[in-house]
Amino acid sequence: MTTLGSIIEERHITYAALAARARLQPRTVRAIATGETPLDRVSVGTIRRIAAALAIPVAVILEVDDPVHPGDAGQTRTARLSAAVREVMWPRGATPYPYPSPVEAGGRDEIADLTADEFFSGMPPIDARRG
Amino acid sequence: MPDAADVYRRVDETDELSSGDIAFLSLARTRTVGEGPPGEAFDPIGRIPAYPRPALRPLPHGREIAIDTMFALVVTHSCEIDRQKNLDASADHFDCRLTVAPIVPEPAVSLVGPDGVVEPGVSWSAIEHNDPVASLYLPPIDDLSSFAPGVEGVWPRAFADLRGLTTVSRRMVAADRLCGLTPAYLGMLQRQLARFFTWRDIARHELLESMVGRRVEAVVPLDSGADRWRVALTGDDGSSVTIEGRTK
Repeated sequence: MTTLGSIIEERHITYAALAARARLQPRTVRAIATGETPLDRVSVGTIRRIAAALAIPVAVILEVDDPVHPGDAGQTRTARLSAAVREVMWPRGATPYPYPSPVEAGGRDEIADLTADEFFSGMPPIDARRG
Repeated sequence: MPDAADVYRRVDETDELSSGDIAFLSLARTRTVGEGPPGEAFDPIGRIPAYPRPALRPLPHGREIAIDTMFALVVTHSCEIDRQKNLDASADHFDCRLTVAPIVPEPAVSLVGPDGVVEPGVSWSAIEHNDPVASLYLPPIDDLSSFAPGVEGVWPRAFADLRGLTTVSRRMVAADRLCGLTPAYLGMLQRQLARFFTWRDIARHELLESMVGRRVEAVVPLDSGADRWRVALTGDDGSSVTIEGRTK
């Protein structure tokens, strides 16, 4: 059972009652609560409505665990990295935040057309004493 | 545009650290509480991005540490890393900093240009071709386990953002290293670093002052866009300055 399903059961409310409060279709709420519709296929807006109707944080419905931290010895390295990729690279339920593009307004410069080999080909020899 | 096989290589836990290593890290920056950006002008290179939702730790006297937990790319040159052995160095001389660039994943951000206008198509196309000087494109990986055995998941389209360089310790990189860059793509990282740190070939004040009284022997238009133009001036003593003007 999903976390949402458990909460609905604990509070002794019906799908229809919750759906009415959240202004959603009862079948939508039931499908989410039973897991028939996976959470990653539910819109953030729908989750927010349900969370507001139940007066609980969105994160509870999303079943967000404690965020993974680098170096967490409670997990293997590969489990830690798998969780980090899920949480950091694919932030679930979060609206993409506006981020300043690195693209310059002036267009491309000449170097942008060069491969790395072409770019470095004219460089003077490296001083061997500097490694 | 490069694909995953051109860009990434597998790294074993016991491998030496290297430029191009990608690791899961806590990145720290210090600032005064409530400090905002310095101005309103949009500059894609000079504008330091605000990373998503940092954890904050207070410091005395109205300062704080903002900590971003994210993947980052080691940009310190490999031979520099090799030299960081500190053999025969006293304990108080010991240090272990590596410079890293935060990795910005496409699903987490909505790229905006001047005036906050969202421009995902234009930006990502340019980033994929490594056109901007401040980014290194990191292509998607359908199955991460092919480069990081045991790690599950899909790596989205992303870029390393050179505007957010910071330092971390060697051991932190080693503990949560995901994979590395191929030698060929390390060359592209180095090209981007060279471009990023030398892009500002705009004349410094003292260079301009030293040109006063000299005869300008050559004027070379460099590039121009809708809102700026640049020219290089060569003096009769061989000195050169580049001047940029903005049209609005």
